[in-house]
Order: sequence, then C-alpha cells, then structure tokens
Amino acid sequence: EKWASTAPRIASTRLALHHFDTSYSLRLGALWPSVRAGLLCEQKYGALLNNFAAADHVPQELEPLNAADFVSEASQKAQQWQRGAAVGAVARGCQEGSGEGRTVMQAEMMAQAEMMAQAEMSPPLGASISSKIKCYTFPRGDITRFRPARPDSLGLLDYYLMDAASLLPVLALNVQPGDFVLDLCAAPGGKTLALLQTGFCGHLAANDISISRTKRLYQILHSYVPREVRDTVSVTSYDGRDWDQVKGGTFHKGAGAGSVLLQVLVDVPCTTDRHSATEEDNNIFHKRRTKERQMLPMLQLQLLMAGILAAKPGAEVVYSTCSLSPLQNECVVERALDIAEAQFNISIHVEDLSHFRTLFQETFSFFSDCRLGELVLPHLTANFGPMYFCKLRRM
Amino acid sequence: RALLPARALPAGPGPCPRRGCGEAAALRAAGFSQEQARRLLALQPRLGPEQREAAAAQLLLLGLSAEAALALLERSPALLRLPTERLRERAEELRRLGLDGGRLERAVRRSPQLLHVPRKRLRAAVRLLRERCLFTAEQLREVLGTCPAVLQEEPRTLHHQFQYAYFRMGVQQKEMVKARLFQTPFAELRNRHIFLERRGLYETPHKGQTQISNPKLKDILQLPEEDFLASLAYSTPEEYEVFKKLLAREEEEKEEEDVDALYT
Ligand SMILES: C[S@@+](CC[C@H](N)C(=O)[O-])C[C@H]1O[C@@H](n2cnc3c(N)ncnc32)[C@H](O)[C@@H]1O
Repeated sequence: EKWASTAPRIASTRLALHHFDTSYSLRLGALWPSVRAGLLCEQKYGALLNNFAAADHVPQELEPLNAADFVSEASQKAQQWQRGAAVGAVARGCQEGSGEGRTVMQAEMMAQAEMMAQAEMSPPLGASISSKIKCYTFPRGDITRFRPARPDSLGLLDYYLMDAASLLPVLALNVQPGDFVLDLCAAPGGKTLALLQTGFCGHLAANDISISRTKRLYQILHSYVPREVRDTVSVTSYDGRDWDQVKGGTFHKGAGAGSVLLQVLVDVPCTTDRHSATEEDNNIFHKRRTKERQMLPMLQLQLLMAGILAAKPGAEVVYSTCSLSPLQNECVVERALDIAEAQFNISIHVEDLSHFRTLFQETFSFFSDCRLGELVLPHLTANFGPMYFCKLRRM
Repeated sequence: RALLPARALPAGPGPCPRRGCGEAAALRAAGFSQEQARRLLALQPRLGPEQREAAAAQLLLLGLSAEAALALLERSPALLRLPTERLRERAEELRRLGLDGGRLERAVRRSPQLLHVPRKRLRAAVRLLRERCLFTAEQLREVLGTCPAVLQEEPRTLHHQFQYAYFRMGVQQKEMVKARLFQTPFAELRNRHIFLERRGLYETPHKGQTQISNPKLKDILQLPEEDFLASLAYSTPEEYEVFKKLLAREEEEKEEEDVDALYT
C-alpha cells in the first residue's frame, strides 16, 4: 500500500513505552505499573464550567449524575481546616480536663492533625483556591463521560472538556483582580480559558509559536468568551524564548508602574507522555524526531527563563508539563534557578504547593517524592495527568 | 429409627403407592438404594417405568456410580426422556473421543449437557482442536477431560480463544493444556492478559523472545482473582474493577468502529 514505505518500522508508541519503561520504572518504582496502565487506558476529563455562558443548567444536570465541582469542594475543605486549626489550638489547651469524650476527641484531632499542620503552615490556603473556577469531575472509579458541550442562546458553549489536572497549574498561579497575565505557550488554549474564568485577568497575553495551533486558540476564545472579554486578550505567535526582546518593553510599560503584577504561566512543549504512549500521529518518539526530543529540556529551560525574565519582582511564574520525566520537570526548574541567580542576579523562591496534595487528594493521585513542585500521576481510579507544576516567585 | 412423617416427603408418589413399588424394586435391582430409588421416581413422574429404568441403567453402564447418575439426572431430568439408543450412541462417541472411564464420568458430571450434544457438533469441535489448533491426540484427551464443555462450544468461539492465546499471547499448545485455557471465559482471559500487558508485566514474544519474563498462563488463569491481583499484577481490586469496565467499553466501541468501517 501507498503508506507502507513511509510507515515507521517500529511504532512510535512502542518506542515511547520502551523509553518510559526504562526510565520511569526507576523513578517511580512500584508505582510504575499502575501509572503505565493509566497512561494506556482512557483518560478522565473534567468539565470546566464556562462562567461567561448561561450555564445554570449544568450543575443541575451533572450533580444528579454524581459529578461534583472539585475546586469548590477543595476550597470548602480548606476553610473547614482553617477553622479546625483555630479550634484545635483551643482544644489542645483544655485537653487535660476532659473525661469520657477524650479518646474520641483525640482520634478526631489526630486525623485532622496533618491537615491542620498544613493549614497553619500555609495561611493563604483558602484564598489560594480561586473559587470562581468551577470544574466538574466524576468520582474516583466512575468512568462516566460528559456529553459534548452545548451552546447557550448567545452561542457560547456551556463547558470546556479538559484533563482536570491541567487546572492545577492555573490554580497554582494565584491570579488577583487586575493582574496582567502572560501565557507563554498558550495553544490550543485550555489553560488560557481557565485563566479567563477567574475573571481577574486585567490583561492576558496568550502567545504560541505555532500559527496553526493559535487558530485553535482563537476558535476557543470565540466559542467561550464574549467579545468584551476577548478584547482583553492579545494573541501572538512569537517564539516564546524571545519574549523579552519582542515584547518585554511594551508589556512592562503596559503593565504600568502601578501595582499590577505580571503573572506568568509557562506550559511548555514536552514529551506529552499520554499522547506518546497511545497515538502514532504527531508522536515525538518517531525516529525522525529524535533530535527534537533530545532538545526538549533545553527548549523548556529557555522558555522558563524567558518567563522568569518577563515576570516583575514579586510576580509568580508557574512552570508545567504533562510529562513524568524529571529531566523535563525538576531538572529544568533547578537549572533555571541557577541561571537566574548566576547570570541575571535574580533570586527566586520556590513556593511550597504541598497543600495542593492534601486539598485535592480525593480527585487526583499525587506523587509524594518530587524534589520540587508537584506531580499528578495517572491512576486507573483517577485517570488524570500526568501533570507536573512548580510555582516560583521572583524576589 | 422412626420413619419420616409422610408430609415431609416431596409431593408426587406416596411412600409406596401400588404403581411405584414394582419400579422401585427394579431400580434397586439395578443398584440404586431405596432412598435413591425414591428420589429417582420423583423425577419426571409421568415417564413410563421402562424408560426410566433403561435411562438410569444406561448411565450406570457409562461407568457412573449410582449416586453420580442420580445427581446428574436430578440436575438434568430431561436426560431421562432421551431415547436410550441415543444416550448410548453419545456415550460411545464421547468414549471414542478419548473420554474413557473416570474421565467420562467427571466430564458428564461437570457438564451433563454433553449428553445432549449431537454427534455432528462433537465432531466439529474435535476436528477444530486437532486440525486447526494442532493439539496432539494426547493433548486433546487432556483438554476434553479437563474442559469437556469445549465440545458444546461453537467451533468459531474455540478457534478465537485459541488464536488469542497462541498469537496474541504467544503461548504454545502444551501450556494451554496445563492452564486449562478453555475453562476460562474469553472475556476473563482478555481482561487478565491485557491488564498485565498494560502494566508492563506481560509481553507478546517476538520470534520467541521477550524483554521481560512473562508469567505462566496457568497462573494467570487459575489463580483466584485476589491472588492474581496481589501476586501477578501487583494491583488492587479497585483498579481492576475500573479496568474491566474501561476495557469492555473499548472493545464495544472498537466493534462499532469495525462495523462502521464495513459500511463506508
Ligand atoms: C503543552 S502545549 C500548551 C498547551 C496549552 N497551554 C493549553 O493548556 O491548552 C505547548 C505549546 O508550546 C508551543 N511552543 C513550542 N515551542 C514554542 C516556543 N519556542 N515558543 C512558544 N511556544 C512554543 C507549542 O506550539 C504548543 O502549543
């Protein structure tokens, strides 16, 4: 047949799996078989509610099916713990005198101890979960699918289906009202849309080097966002590595000398592990793309550096990938910290996101051994991710 | 010992109505105890006495013990209605296929339906196992002895299961026999195999070679689910439950796709 001559001798998905088997089994050890099975089975989606559409019907439709908004569930939990932390402090004081109820109370307190420690450690816990973003997911082990999105009377779609773990980097980037936000690698636009759902972006720069993929981004903006909000978004197609040269000046000026911060999301191209393990099309493990694949960590580092340089002092940068590879995750972040310090005299604080693990553990399966940042592992009962994210603050 | 009160007995002929007495005596002469004869008489009460006797005797001739024959008839009373000639013919056929002595008894006990399967069907299954699956005569005897139900299967179903184990899993006939492949329903075979495969714990051999060492088919199929999960798949029931649901949906949708492809 015609395509026989161009078909790869060994399927790219097999090459990818072989590569993963060698490197990830070392890294993840006994967890690897579960993660592998997750990668090779149908992934789970979340339905990101479109706050710009008339979508009141969606909760009414989804809740009877047992789907729940995991973001608001987490922020409720956070608030409870913070109250619990306060009560806990009081309880610790009067523990001595208690009689019968004491063991019960102790057990309860033990169970809450970890959460409270979290709550005490990270004060902005509740505040850090932007409550305007709503994303529905089905519970653990439930494989129900969402129906396709539907337009409201004005033609705006009611929700956007995405890997729910993709929301975590956006939630980590704690956008505050009026913030200027840069989404350096934005297409096809899932995270851009989520950023807009906060309703806080004073201005959003959505950049992506790929013209064809930015078309998809435009489509998403058109199907989900009303005109007046679209007008606050500027879509560009620069090489993100050059951001500072092409845009740095104007954007900083645009951001003004005022208090608005430039928050940056750097969602880099990566080995897209789930895709590489399951799809031949556009697979980065194709023999012909070996060079490109080997250059990824360098490209990622350059993009992260560009993001760091674009951020104003005090601003946050979130770096994310959908790969399990430490070479593309922690290593890139560590190198960037070094370079920022050594070459640009920029000091950077790596923010602790461990409370995310506690808050979202019911929805996602987290890896507990990341040196830096957080990693969502695919798992058959909660088949989201992989998603790595790490939050930096420029000092 | 006091006799059981009459009302505790099953409905049907009383303890000793006139008609039943002669029959019971004949059955006892054939080797059934009084109690067994009573149970036998309670089956298919409208059947003529000769027919009952002949069928029961035929089963004893197959090598079944009185209790085994009775248990079999209690499970499939319809066997009593089969002409004895037919019954004998089928038993003969099964014996010829290699189910002799204890094997036949065990086979019939396990799947009494075997005696209902027409000869043509039996032969088709055997031909398939011998000629297309290339089991040796000895292996065939073993397969029939351990999984007599293969004789009731559609040859197409058998062939499919065989090909899956042979090509997809790379398992040889000898191992299939040991693993009693045909005792496992196909869906379960596929569930367990693909579960292991996606976890990176099973690999289809390529030119007889694998990178990892595959577990034995016998362990994959014969271990109870709990042990399969704990010692072969290193997994949990929660994961496996979800997996089975996902795989079933995948297969369903693949079939739909195949059908669509046929019509476009
Ligand atoms: C993981 S995807 C981004 C997904 C997107 N943030 C979302 O949530 O829908 C990575 C993107 O980086 C883009 N990209 C690759 N190299 C780039 C570069 N040098 N500058 C800017 N974008 C680049 C790719 O075109 C791709 O769309």
